[in-house]
Amino acid sequence: MESNGIQEPFDLIRLSLSERVFVKLRGDRELTGILHAYDGHMNLIMSDVEETIMIVDPESAANGQGVVNVAKRKMEMLFVRGDGVILVSPPART
Amino acid sequence: MDDSPKPPSDPTPPLPPPAQSHTGSPTDFLKGVVGKRVIVRLTSGVDYRGILSCLDGFMNIALEQTEEHVNGIVTNRYGDAFIRGNNVLYISAAEPI
Repeated sequence: MESNGIQEPFDLIRLSLSERVFVKLRGDRELTGILHAYDGHMNLIMSDVEETIMIVDPESAANGQGVVNVAKRKMEMLFVRGDGVILVSPPART
Repeated sequence: MDDSPKPPSDPTPPLPPPAQSHTGSPTDFLKGVVGKRVIVRLTSGVDYRGILSCLDGFMNIALEQTEEHVNGIVTNRYGDAFIRGNNVLYISAAEPI
């Protein structure tokens, strides 16, 4: 059933080194960038990073979907502390 | 020293044999759902539905063909996804084990 030889979850990350990955973080933040290094805590080193921050406006949150504002910023090189990571998704695999 | 009478050589087992796939340890469950469709709920309430590729002792999870559901609405799709184990609330089998 293992379709591409993944034995443990970290293999997914190992196979994504030097690739552009999507990272979902606590606090409604997302990153896309090139993954250079990681460790067992999921501390990450990324470059060419764009961070997307979803900011919910409490006033308009009352009348439906609340994501009103999206802030973006770019960073050349970034260390991500592992405990903030929720999800990492590699690029579409072959 | 052997003051109590010996039981017969063929004691009946104290528990009935396990009913089909409805008993077993949590580890047995997790082994059973690898390769199956699962729903992973995070403590934030977000659900990830996909095929469980594998998982480890931290409950880090690798999913394939993953859909992210927030309040029942699909908000994202990932070919592969690594979920850090500390965020996991539960793993639910979405097909018969």
